[in-house]
Amino acid sequence: MVITRAYLRLSVIALAALLVWLSTFTVSETDVVIVTLFGRPMRTSADAGLHLKWPFESVLRFDRRLMVYDPGSSEFLTKDKKNLVIGSAVCWRIVDPGRFFQTVGDATGAEMRLHDLVWATLAAAIGRLDLSDLLSVDPDRAHVQAIGDRVRSAATVETERRFGIAVVDLQLKRINFPEQNKYAVFARMRAERDRIAKEYRAKGEELAIKIRAEADRQRSQLLAEAYRDAEKLKGEGDAEAARVYGQAYGRNPQFYKFLRTLESYKKILNEKTSIILSGDSELLKLLTQGRVPDGAR
Amino acid sequence: MVLADLGEPPVVRRTIRDRVRDGRVIAPIAVIAYLCSGVYVVPADQQAVVVRWGKVVDSRVPAGVHWTWPSPIARVYRLRVRETRRLTLGLDGVDPLNRSQFLTADRNVLNIRLVVQFAISDPAAYLFRAQDVNALVANAARGALAQAVAARHVDDLLTTEKVAVQERVQALAEATVVRYECGVTLLGVVLDSIAPPDDVVEAFRHVAAAREDGDRIVREAESYANGVVPVARGAAAQRGEEALAYNTQVVNTAAGDAARFSGIADEYAKAPRETATRLYLETMDEVLPKIDKTIVGADPKAVDLQFVKKP
Repeated sequence: MVITRAYLRLSVIALAALLVWLSTFTVSETDVVIVTLFGRPMRTSADAGLHLKWPFESVLRFDRRLMVYDPGSSEFLTKDKKNLVIGSAVCWRIVDPGRFFQTVGDATGAEMRLHDLVWATLAAAIGRLDLSDLLSVDPDRAHVQAIGDRVRSAATVETERRFGIAVVDLQLKRINFPEQNKYAVFARMRAERDRIAKEYRAKGEELAIKIRAEADRQRSQLLAEAYRDAEKLKGEGDAEAARVYGQAYGRNPQFYKFLRTLESYKKILNEKTSIILSGDSELLKLLTQGRVPDGAR
Repeated sequence: MVLADLGEPPVVRRTIRDRVRDGRVIAPIAVIAYLCSGVYVVPADQQAVVVRWGKVVDSRVPAGVHWTWPSPIARVYRLRVRETRRLTLGLDGVDPLNRSQFLTADRNVLNIRLVVQFAISDPAAYLFRAQDVNALVANAARGALAQAVAARHVDDLLTTEKVAVQERVQALAEATVVRYECGVTLLGVVLDSIAPPDDVVEAFRHVAAAREDGDRIVREAESYANGVVPVARGAAAQRGEEALAYNTQVVNTAAGDAARFSGIADEYAKAPRETATRLYLETMDEVLPKIDKTIVGADPKAVDLQFVKKP
């Protein structure tokens, strides 16, 4: 009797626990949940916490976190027929779990569909651009981020409608030339470097020649100006001297002539000079005739 | 022992065993033990996020000893929030070489290694908003780098624009990461290494050498100019000084001569004949002793020049 009562009590407790277990479910912060009744979706909940349901309802969970999908790099052709390897990263999340469940099912399926859609959209976008629309110092033409955004918004319209997935972001994280083109690319880079190297040397030479020429010109100019000023100064000196002489000698030109002649004698006559003097010259008259000249008192 | 002293040990023993069997003792003990298991410790360098029934109830539990409902009701996530997280993108072995290559605006290929530093700003968002936060941050930085590099010339990237690119990448990546709302803040982006691929690195070195050469040629010319111009300036100054000296000399000589002449002329005016004779004789005194003289008779019409010839 006692034992049966105890078992009865235990089974009541167990039954209650099972009922509680079946009629509650938790929603994690990372999940979105679909409550289904025999496979038919009844309601969706993204509220984290403890929830109630009918015991015979079951629960499907989907990760609603932001996911990253790397579709790998593929080759694309630009409008000007340049091959580019472009690698992207797609950030996506489930926004409509019902549709996602019906059309895709799981993350792998989502990535497959994203791959196809993103590839096609990106190929179309790249095909409408020249290479210079991607690579350019002109901020209005460098479209890397713009292409990512454009592809994202085009893709997300499609994915939300068809798969219940939102493409949150698309980054073009790799832009490169294909491996088989690298040889040509490197050859072009080398040629360009050579040209730039030559340009640096030539510019250096050019500047050096200019500097030397300028220096030489300055030198000539300095010397010429100095000559001009010096000659002018000398001339002024000569003029001044001539004026002074003229002023002084003008007072008695006759006497100046006499005095200047005597000066010249001093300069002209030297040891090499031979002179024949007449005995009756003014100087020697006294010597030869021995008498006092007329008029001496 | 005490009960044994009271003389009723069998009854007591049986009663305890029954109560244990009834669960009236073990159940409270189990409940207490269960509740005690909810005590948890958060180390000094960490913060904790507490989740109850899947919902975040406390997103910033500080360091210390705390209590919450034990599993499976609640769960505690501990995070090193103050730690700076570091991601290195490119050239690090994990990443094949061509993955770290980027195209510049002038279509050159560069190998770039980028270091991204970030920290957790919102632990709950970090834990629950994104599946792989590192991948998100890495992709944001890589996308930003691809864009920043595509808008610059290779020479600028290798020389003057490095810091500007860093700032641009950080701004772009930060905007993207903020948009992701994944609970992290970008602290910094560093262009750790930026270099041309090995196949062309030699050509880039040649350019650097050529630039050096160009600079050297210019410096040599400048040193020539610095030598020539001052020398010319010195020579010009010298010429000027010489001219000035000549000028002064000529003018002063003239003044002196004029003064002297004036003096003698004054004398002459007083006694013209005597002064003239004196001056004449003084000059003869000076001149005649040095020279070879031949004195002939008063009538010098016929002089045998053989006779006056020097021995």
